[in-house]
Amino acid sequence: MYAAAIFLPLLGAAIAGFFGRRIGDRASQIVTCAGVGLGAVLSIPIFFSVAVGGNEEVVTLATWINSGTFETAWALRFDTLSAVMVMTVTCVSFLIHVYAVGYMSHDDCKPRFMAYLSLFTFAMLMLVTADNLVQLFFGWEGVGVVSYLLIGFWFKKPTANAAAIKAFVVNRVGDFGFLLGIFGIYLLVDAVSFDTVFDAVPSHAEDAVTFFGIEGHALTLIALLLFVGAMGKSAQLFLHTWLPDAMEGPTPVSALIHAATMVTAGVFLVARMSPLFEYAPAALEVVTVVGASTAFFAATIGCVQNDIKRVIAYSTCSQLGYMFFACGVGAYSAAIFHLMTHAWFKALLFLGSGSVIHAMSDEQDMRKMGGIWKHVKVTYAMMWIGTLALVAVPPFAGYYSKDMILEAAYGAHTSVGQYAFIMGIAAALMTAFYSGRLLFMTFHGEPRAEKEVMDHVHESPLIMTLPLAGLAIGAIFAGYIGYDVFIGDGRDMFWRDAIAVLGNDPIEAAHHVPAWVVWSPMVVTLLGLGLAYHLYMRRPDIPGRLAASYPLVYKFLLNKWYFDELYDFLFVRPAFRIGRVLWKRGDEGVIDRFGPDGISASVIAGAKRLGAVQTGYLYHYAFAMIIGIALFVSWIVVGG
Amino acid sequence: MTQMPNLVPAYAEIFLALSGLLLLMVGVFRKTDPVRGVARLAILAFSVAGVLVLTTNAVAVTTFSGMFAVNAFTSFAKLLVLLGGGFAVFLMLPWAKNEGIARFELPVVMVFAVLGMMMMISANDLISLYVGLELQSLSLYVLAAFHRGNLRATEAGVKYFILGALASGLLLYGSSLIYGFAGTTSFVGLASALSSAQENVGVIVGMVFVISGLAFKISAVPFHMWTPDVYEGSPTPVTAFFSVAPKIAALCLFLRILVGPFDDLMFQWRQVLIVICVASMLWGAVAAIAQSNIKRLMAYSSIGHVGYALIGLVAATPEGARGMIYYMLIYLFMNVGTFAVILSMRVKDRYVEGVNDLSGLSKTNPAIALALTVLMFSMAGIPPLAGFFGKYFVFVAAINAGLIPLAVIGVLSSVIGAYYYLRLIKIMYFDEAGEGLDKPDLSTGVVMGVCALAVVVFILVPEPMLAGADAAAAALFQG
Amino acid sequence: MIAAAIAFYVFATMAVIGGLNVIFQRNPVHSVLWLILTFFNAAGLFVILGAEFVAMILVVVYVGAVAVLFLFVVMMLDINITVIREGIHKYVWAGLLVGGVLLAELVTVFTSWVMFDDAASLSTAPTPDPNVITNTEALGNILYTDYVYLFQAAGIILLVAMIGSIVLTYRTRTGVRKQVIADQVARRPSDTLEMVKVESGKGLQ
Repeated sequence: MYAAAIFLPLLGAAIAGFFGRRIGDRASQIVTCAGVGLGAVLSIPIFFSVAVGGNEEVVTLATWINSGTFETAWALRFDTLSAVMVMTVTCVSFLIHVYAVGYMSHDDCKPRFMAYLSLFTFAMLMLVTADNLVQLFFGWEGVGVVSYLLIGFWFKKPTANAAAIKAFVVNRVGDFGFLLGIFGIYLLVDAVSFDTVFDAVPSHAEDAVTFFGIEGHALTLIALLLFVGAMGKSAQLFLHTWLPDAMEGPTPVSALIHAATMVTAGVFLVARMSPLFEYAPAALEVVTVVGASTAFFAATIGCVQNDIKRVIAYSTCSQLGYMFFACGVGAYSAAIFHLMTHAWFKALLFLGSGSVIHAMSDEQDMRKMGGIWKHVKVTYAMMWIGTLALVAVPPFAGYYSKDMILEAAYGAHTSVGQYAFIMGIAAALMTAFYSGRLLFMTFHGEPRAEKEVMDHVHESPLIMTLPLAGLAIGAIFAGYIGYDVFIGDGRDMFWRDAIAVLGNDPIEAAHHVPAWVVWSPMVVTLLGLGLAYHLYMRRPDIPGRLAASYPLVYKFLLNKWYFDELYDFLFVRPAFRIGRVLWKRGDEGVIDRFGPDGISASVIAGAKRLGAVQTGYLYHYAFAMIIGIALFVSWIVVGG
Repeated sequence: MTQMPNLVPAYAEIFLALSGLLLLMVGVFRKTDPVRGVARLAILAFSVAGVLVLTTNAVAVTTFSGMFAVNAFTSFAKLLVLLGGGFAVFLMLPWAKNEGIARFELPVVMVFAVLGMMMMISANDLISLYVGLELQSLSLYVLAAFHRGNLRATEAGVKYFILGALASGLLLYGSSLIYGFAGTTSFVGLASALSSAQENVGVIVGMVFVISGLAFKISAVPFHMWTPDVYEGSPTPVTAFFSVAPKIAALCLFLRILVGPFDDLMFQWRQVLIVICVASMLWGAVAAIAQSNIKRLMAYSSIGHVGYALIGLVAATPEGARGMIYYMLIYLFMNVGTFAVILSMRVKDRYVEGVNDLSGLSKTNPAIALALTVLMFSMAGIPPLAGFFGKYFVFVAAINAGLIPLAVIGVLSSVIGAYYYLRLIKIMYFDEAGEGLDKPDLSTGVVMGVCALAVVVFILVPEPMLAGADAAAAALFQG
Repeated sequence: MIAAAIAFYVFATMAVIGGLNVIFQRNPVHSVLWLILTFFNAAGLFVILGAEFVAMILVVVYVGAVAVLFLFVVMMLDINITVIREGIHKYVWAGLLVGGVLLAELVTVFTSWVMFDDAASLSTAPTPDPNVITNTEALGNILYTDYVYLFQAAGIILLVAMIGSIVLTYRTRTGVRKQVIADQVARRPSDTLEMVKVESGKGLQ
């Protein structure tokens, strides 16, 4: 059952991928949906058995690498953490699969798309159920590769290709850090299996390493390197630039990448490695600051974006920041809880926006929408549910998890905790604002689209709205149901050894914060929604005037703090320049000229010359023989 | 009076000689389709001779006043030669039918050629060496010119004849020098004379001449010039025969004579042979690139392969000898298979030989394309095919014998050589399809399939062949 | 002994001169004639060595058969000498160089003539005393005993040569009428003659 839940998506992907053309579109869709769906069905009893029942399991499949002292196996590790992740991933992914059947109905490459989706799910499942760092890295890279394929799915679009390459390259930067982290762990404890590593970590708590001549705390260094990996995958500040561009992929892809898989991998990694991070307090502070900054920074950008999907994308970025600073203050369980609830409502928002885009004939710009709520009532309702969950209005899912994170940050009573709390509150305000802005601009007000488009606006088919409903149920109830076991009184029974916390329990502290801390998120949320209502419903002229009177601020935000331009200037162009020099001068000028090209040219010239020797004249041949023997005899007589 | 010589070790040769005579009679008196009948009988004769070799050559003995020697090595070599001859006759059958060749002498002469090769292999005296060599050569001259109506074939025959006569002259001259200085022509006598006496420049020069004469027979550089022209001009089944049987025989003779009577002159002959070996490998690899006729290409390919086989000879260790025999065994299958492919290159009932006639073969005739691909990969020495192991064993032998530069050059030239083998594959798979070839004859297809299969499955069951080669190499170094 | 020495030098000198002339004659017919002279001198050398049988064989086979055959062929082919000589200057220097080098080396080899200790005894071992047994008989004795293998092998070589020359030259010509005695003898009037009665006023159909 355990292995089946993980490998059914792979089976579906293989069938659809290799035989897609033979078995046809419909069969490919059925087989992939069935694979993931069965996985989702199986994940529920697994969750209850592992997380609730406490039957942790490690399923060893095969030995992978056995070389010297280095030993690693293919094994599936099921503890509470992975059970939660498996359930979330499979369930959300299944709904997205079903949705994709409807969304991609006009595409020509349905089997390929479905195969990628399933493969993506499988890679993510491998990641979360890994029993050692190497297997985790396998899943990690698998996710990276398939994300490249999916973002660049419409490979005829140059922007899609560029976005795919960008996502891949930025991820590689993070992966490099992750890989160094794995090397570091192996160097330190001579093992990569989680249990062994975690057992060994306390005894290495004080070890130091010399890195580039600077002596430092070994575990901090490792934790930071791992966090670099997590930053890349989870699009944290400085390595976030790929995420908005990834919107070039089809909407189900965005939903899958942003909600259930890929971006959550970084949070998962930090939670998984919590026994190690706990021994590296300095690293945790970095995690907190980066997370909090990302939450704030992404929210500011989200306020001015016009592309409906990009707004949600920055919202994801921001929410991931919340999760990270939750980890940073030790509230791993809150982070995972938010991860889980976020998966539901973010998938809902993405698929809802996909439904809107579908209705608006592939229009993504919110400035060209408006006033369509009457035509797409179901989608409209779903978007409201998703938004309310996102902005943390009780009793929707986000409320439980997000408030807990903010309380935990405050309750940490550290300076970075305070920083995270302030940033979190500010981000919550802006979240409410841009979410409201999105809703009002899209659904209300005067229609700004062309008439033909407006005439064509229609509700999506059932196969797209049903998954929305499924996700909406999750977005409404996931928080309420999970509250007690994830972060409430049942949390110790629930998590057991999956997450380690040293010292004070930050969740416990979070339950004892002052009342104003508890209420402040609620207040700023309502404030934000009200502001959005005022600016976009009652006085829609104000935003334009604001933008005109503070052009610098507006441009700064609209251009995403100029990160892309900065990176372009700092890395991309110098890299291209270096590459060009190495290519033209180094490779073609030196290596090719004297290496392969030179050798092959001289070989061909030699072949022609040797061919010319073959004149066909008998006396030439005889003469060659005589010369040969004369040379040999001379050599022997003179030299031998 | 004199005793009757012991005939048992020579049963196979005697049988083959008598069969040759008998086949001649059969051919003359058989009215209907003499070619087919004679060819089939020739194959039968080869098979029986093979059985006789296996049954009568088990122990190492000499006979005919020490002129004729048999041991495990000679029997292994003879079996290879018989196999090559059998394949060639088998390939000749459909060719003769298609070309309307109604002359039964072809298989008869082939039988005599094989007989000559077996005599060469068993030679234990410079005279018997020469007689066997001459029987072989004369038969081959006739075979080369067999298409007498064809200008190219006639030219090939004449070139081969005159240059062969020159090579025989060199060989004889060397032999007479050796006889003059050592006073004996017997291998055993030479070995003992050379081991007891100090270095003698006359014998060494004579040996160099003998080496040159033999190098001509295996078409090693710089005595290879005849090869491309003769390969191109001769009838294709004859070329197939040329490219395997005489080479195996001459190489085995080479090995026997160098590690036998001339063992004490190893320092001298090694220098000469290293030059020959390196030059052959490089020349074969480079010159083939510019070829557009597939038979010419195979000629250069065979020059290169002889170079690789010579590495084993230069190593002059049991390991090297084993590597060389082993190489020749694999080479036999690769080459016969390739020539079977060449013999199936027929467009509209006409044989074609251009490399470009293979264009797009993967589409028009995937089975042949696959077989040729396997064979070419094997020739290029790409694992896990047999050709890789052939090269591997000789290279390892060279390294163990301290001849690392030789192994390095071997690897480099096989990289260069891979170019034209892979080019054929590229032409078959990536070029625009031409007219497509006719359906190959059954027996050609069978030979092709068997050889390609042998090359592929070799890695699975190498033990029987290795065991044979081991025993053969061991026998060589006992005496 | 003086006579033998003089005879040797005469024969040897003539043989070398003859050999050189074979190469340097412009007219191929002359070359063949010089070749015949060389053969004769070689036969003379064999006689001095006491190998009269080989000497006679040389005269009979080479002079009587081979050389005469050569003459026929050369005369029939009508070789154009100038064409053959064309381009020879291009290679003459290279040829002289290689030939010179080879010659120098061989001279070195022969001047440092050191035979193995027992070479002389080994090489004369098969030779019986010519006073006891004649040359021809001695040859016959070993030819059919010790050297029977080579003898038979040589026979096969000749057979192959014969097959080869027939295969490469014999052709069945069409349109040539050959005399077949058996057919002529077996011929009966009834095979070829037919008696017909011709009615007057009508021809044969």
